[in-house]
Amino acid sequence: MTAPLLAVSGLHAHYGPSHVLQGIDLAVPAGGVVALLGRNGAGKSTTLKAIMGVVRPSAGSVAFAGQAIAGEATDRVARRGIAWVPETRAIFPSLSVEEHLTLAARRGGWGLDRIYDRFPRLRERRRSGGGTLSGGEQQMLTIARAMTTAPRLLLLDEPTEGLAPLIVEEIEAMLRSLKAEGMALLLVEQNLAFALAFADHVVLIGKGRVRWSGPPADFHGAAEAQAWLAV
Amino acid sequence: MTPPASHSRHAVALLLAVLAVGYWLASGYYGKELVAETAITAILAMSLSLLVGQAGLVSLGHAAYFGIGAYALAGFGQKLGWPPALAMAAAVAVGALLALVVGWVAVRLAGVFFIMITLAVGEMIHAWFLKDRSFGGVGGMSGVPRLDLSGIGVDLADPAQFALFALAVALLVYLLLDRLVLSPFGQTLRAIHQNEERARALGCPVGRYKLAAFVVAGAVAALAGTLAAQRSAFVSPELMTWTLSGEILIVVIVGGSGSLLGVSAAAALWIGLRHQLSTMTDHWMLAMGVIFVVLVLVAGDGIDGALRGLWRRIAARRAARRAA
Repeated sequence: MTAPLLAVSGLHAHYGPSHVLQGIDLAVPAGGVVALLGRNGAGKSTTLKAIMGVVRPSAGSVAFAGQAIAGEATDRVARRGIAWVPETRAIFPSLSVEEHLTLAARRGGWGLDRIYDRFPRLRERRRSGGGTLSGGEQQMLTIARAMTTAPRLLLLDEPTEGLAPLIVEEIEAMLRSLKAEGMALLLVEQNLAFALAFADHVVLIGKGRVRWSGPPADFHGAAEAQAWLAV
Repeated sequence: MTPPASHSRHAVALLLAVLAVGYWLASGYYGKELVAETAITAILAMSLSLLVGQAGLVSLGHAAYFGIGAYALAGFGQKLGWPPALAMAAAVAVGALLALVVGWVAVRLAGVFFIMITLAVGEMIHAWFLKDRSFGGVGGMSGVPRLDLSGIGVDLADPAQFALFALAVALLVYLLLDRLVLSPFGQTLRAIHQNEERARALGCPVGRYKLAAFVVAGAVAALAGTLAAQRSAFVSPELMTWTLSGEILIVVIVGGSGSLLGVSAAAALWIGLRHQLSTMTDHWMLAMGVIFVVLVLVAGDGIDGALRGLWRRIAARRAARRAA
């Protein structure tokens, strides 16, 4: 078996005195899709942040393409080929749509034409300021911007949260086409039905630890998994 | 802020230049001095605008680079006897080098710590030139050589001609910085300013970008300093006081920190008001303070923001009238 593209093992992280991640293990194979599930506050977003180096891991290892990256500066992690689409989207209000798409572009990433073909709405709004975009447009732009950086792995934090159903469909279709192209994805998702239908592998986190992990097909039969997700 | 389309920006730049030349033509000897001083202040303010308005780095020691440029010109040109053009280029390089060294440490710090270190370094340099006798100490040093432009029939020893020369340099600096602000480099600085963590997550080496902005700002400030030294053929520690740094920061804020033309207009306002008020009252500083407080209260985004707001309102009213 070949080494996974991303291998996280025994990852711990603290926010001040609170021990948010208490030994997370997960792996994303090249071209694979892993869904990260769990209740609010379980540590899903923090796991992504710890991988990106935004939150400094206090223990454990993160390996990307066979190289240890835990504790590396965020910009170095990003240049290695991990793109992070955070929950907050983090659009730059005073940059135009097109400036967002050229800002971090790297060789091998998606060009403007490809993005505009995929998201015609962004072409219409190319000159608009980031601050004037709707939530759905912001999310499209955030994903599109990530694709301009030529990532090998995309970390997505609840990409469809709070969006109108039509936009959700569009984003989900986008994720499916990325998967079909062989992009590796680590997806934090609240929409259980979509996560189970879309992912190859599911990791369920509760209170900072992995409580269940396995193929989506087994999820509904796993009583402990249900218990950790129940509200 | 994203600048408006380039043709309207350049039209405003041209308008400002025409106004300055018009004032130059209409005014007497002292007015020409004011034009020169305004042009130099505008260059200094534009260099700080790059830091404050684009990169979000508030420096309270910017006069140090201005003063170092002036002193370096005096040192290379007068003490070492280098040709003025070479001395001027070397002085700009010294400004950049100083900014590189200071920035290396400073850009790692955020917010008030960045302000404090720029202030502290500025004061250290000021104190050194105040005490050091080799550059004249507190009394300064005269006889700084001027650029020799007799080849194109310009005599910089003539204040009127020098004023036009300084204006031309200011225009050139505007064009260069304007391109820089619009370039991917400028976009990245604005992105860092707005959300540093996000810029970093996109793979942007934030520290290096900030350092580059700091070095460019230091070099341009040093260029302004070389002009100040040539204007009076004199340098003194007055050129690098922290109060000058503060004044320039006020000019930048009043102008609308990210707008090169806004801060240039504010520089003209600053120099003009100071001249007018200081002839009227000994308490001109107090009066200037009140005026600028009112300006900032009335127009939070500075001159640039106020004019843009006015323009939008006019355009909206026109559109409404057309629709009616």
